[in-house]
Formats: sequence, structure tokens, C-alpha cells
Amino acid sequence: MKTRYWALLLGAVFLVLAGLTARQFFGVKPAAQAQVWADGELVRTLDLSEDGEYRIESAEGWNIVTVSGGRAAVTAASCPDGDCVRCGQKNANPPIVCLPNRVSVQFSDSGDLDGVVR
Amino acid sequence: MKKRIFSLLLALALLLAGCNLLPDAGARPRELSESSIWAMDTQMDLRLYGDTDGTVMTELTATLNRLDRTLSATAADSALTALNESGWTDDKDIVYLAANARRISEQTAGALDITLLPVSRLWGFPTDSCGVPAAGELEALRDNVGMDKLTLTDESVSVPAGTKLDFGALAKGYAADLCRARMEEAGVSGILALGGNIQTVGTKPDGSDWIIGVQDPNDTGRYILTLRLSGAKAVVSSGDYQRYFMQDGVRYCHILDPETLAPVRGSLRSVTVVAEEGLLADGLSTALYVLGREAGTELWRQRGDFEALWIEDDGSVWVTPGLKDRVAEGDFRVIEP
Repeated sequence: MKTRYWALLLGAVFLVLAGLTARQFFGVKPAAQAQVWADGELVRTLDLSEDGEYRIESAEGWNIVTVSGGRAAVTAASCPDGDCVRCGQKNANPPIVCLPNRVSVQFSDSGDLDGVVR
Repeated sequence: MKKRIFSLLLALALLLAGCNLLPDAGARPRELSESSIWAMDTQMDLRLYGDTDGTVMTELTATLNRLDRTLSATAADSALTALNESGWTDDKDIVYLAANARRISEQTAGALDITLLPVSRLWGFPTDSCGVPAAGELEALRDNVGMDKLTLTDESVSVPAGTKLDFGALAKGYAADLCRARMEEAGVSGILALGGNIQTVGTKPDGSDWIIGVQDPNDTGRYILTLRLSGAKAVVSSGDYQRYFMQDGVRYCHILDPETLAPVRGSLRSVTVVAEEGLLADGLSTALYVLGREAGTELWRQRGDFEALWIEDDGSVWVTPGLKDRVAEGDFRVIEP
């Protein structure tokens, strides 16, 4: 009985640590904040736990960044292609990028990615 | 027997605990400095470790801004615009890039061509006024297009009237090479995101690999897999999902086929190249996208100085064997050697 107890305990410890390790290498955790950049300048840091709507102006145009339910999205923009709007709601990198307006929304503390090639 | 199993489990648990709880054990603390700039029509994010007094960051920023001013095909006062108007330049960056463009073009059966600027303008890509031009208009430009229009010496580049150069397929890779060289000289490690191009230099402070996500062409808000890379690596993608327009239900991407003078068409959504040299990775990613997966894999077999990853429109991912053990997350198939 004692042996089985120890086996279960060790097994549980192993699984928890294996899970943590897998998380370290593979996982992506949601970001707590998002940084909004315009024309190469950090213009706003958003707390993703607070819902809100923000108009971001750049030299080329404007984007509306909406925070809701712990996620950020570009919900409207003056750019011609609308790629940034189609990215949808996000809480982890890769960043939302609006090339025509030179605006991007990047997520801090979003897991273990060092960069995204695109 | 049971004791052995317990011992094994305990050893594994302790090993994993060591991996998780003591990630920085033995590592030298290296100060992190970060900066972002807008250059070459994109945002550039620089993350350096060990640049204690900020000198390297300042120098890299100056280098990127210099290249931005030199290589802009739209700025009226750039050295490239001067070449495109006068037909001659001795600018060192342009001479270097033109020579390397010819090298890569020759090695890729002409798939890389830096003389397509007038064609790209006719399709409307530089001005976001895109549309399918008339066939006659395209053919009228053919006499001005082709790598054979370049006359190169060790110190100058000249082109005939009507031929215009654009280094969009190489400039960020070249910039990454210059930045990497300066960082290595100064003993600074870090990661540079020059637009979508990634350049890693050295190792992370904890000694672990760099984790690079590869954007999913079918859902650009996500990445399709991640790569674990160590040391100095340039990672560059080319695809049909970043700059394109739709007309009559057809997607026209900004990458032009030098043979047809039209956007590349086919089943390929993107190509990612991993190489030591940024300029090579940049140029090859464009060339491999033009060539398609079959011809691209053949080129890889012949060269062996780069690794690559192809994403097809059915969502399948193909990687060269050198990347097989570098994929940390995601499904893929391996190209036959």
C-alpha cells in the first residue's frame, strides 16, 4: 500500500513537471498587456483586463483598437486592404500589423516566442 | 525492480525540476535593451543583450536609417532614385547589393530579378492602386527588364534609360547582415525583427534556443509552427498573403515572375528560408517562391547552404531535413534528400 502511494505521488510529480517543461518549450500563454506602435513610436500600452476602445492616429491614417474579454483587435481602420481588421481578436503574438498605416499591436509576455517570421 | 522504477522517476523529476526551476543557473546576467524604429517601409524591433552603454543600439539604428535613405525606391532624394534617374551610381551599398543580386539571380535561373520596379508600378503595388494591366502595357516594359541590363564594375552600377532597380527583395537581409556583424564584433547577442525578417545573433542569456514562429498564410493572426534555432541565423519568408489584391476572385500577390511579368500563381502560399547570410536568405525566399516547391527543392539539393520550409494552399508544410529536428511545434512533412 505504501509502495503504491509513493508510486502515485512520484507519478503525479513527474506529470506536473513534464507538463511545465512542455509548456516551457511549446506553449503560448495569453498576454497581460498589448503595446500599440505608430510610425515606429510606442503610443499606448493597453491593459488587456480592461475593456476599451482606442483611436490610434499615424501619419498615414487611423486604426481603432478595441480591447474586450482579455483580447485586442483592430476593429476599424482607414487602410485600403483591411488586413489588420481581418486578424480578429488576439491575446498573443504574432502582432497585428497594419503596414499601410504603420501601426502595429504587439503582445508582451505572450509565451516563449522570440519572434515571428512573416 | 520497483525501486529502480522509483529511482528512474525520481531522477527524471529532478532533471525536469532543474530545467524549470533553475533556467538561469550558471548563466551570466546580460542586460536587455529594446528599441523599435520605422525604416524600409516597415517596423523594425531590435532586442539586444549585453549592450551595456547603448552604443551598439545607436549604431544599428543609424545603419538602418542610412539604408532606408539610400535604398528607398520612392524617396526623391535617395541614392537609388538617383541611380534610377541618371542610370549610374557608385554608392557602395548599391554596388554590393547589385553584385549579390546578380549572383543569386544566376544561381536561381533568373527567378530573382531586381529590375521589375516599372512592372510592379504598372500593377500598382507600390502605390496601393492595384489592378490587372493590359497585356500590351506589360509587354511594352519587357525591353527595360532583365538582369542583363545591369552593367557592374567593382565600384559602380549602371543601367540603360528606362531600367529601374528595386532592392526590396534584398535590402532587409543586407541590413540584417550589417547589424549582425556589428553585434558579433561587440560581443552583443540578440534578435532583430526587420519587418517580417528575423535575424538571431548569439545565444539567449539562459543559453536556450531562439523560438521563432512561422506565420500561417491562411490565418495571419497565428503561426503555423515554431522553429528552435541557435546561433546566428537569418529567417525570411516570402508569400502571397502580405501584399496582394483580389480581382474577379483571383488573388494577385506582389511577388512578380520575371518570365511572365505577372504575379506568381500556383499552389504555394509561402516559403521560409533559414540561412547563415541574411542577404542570401532574403533573396532566396523570393526566388524560391517564384520557382515553386518542386524546383525549389531541387535547388536546395544542389546547394545545401540553406534550409527551407514550404506552405502549400492545402495547409501542408514541407521542410528540408535540416529543419526536421528544429520544429518545436506543428505538423510537417520532410523533403527527400
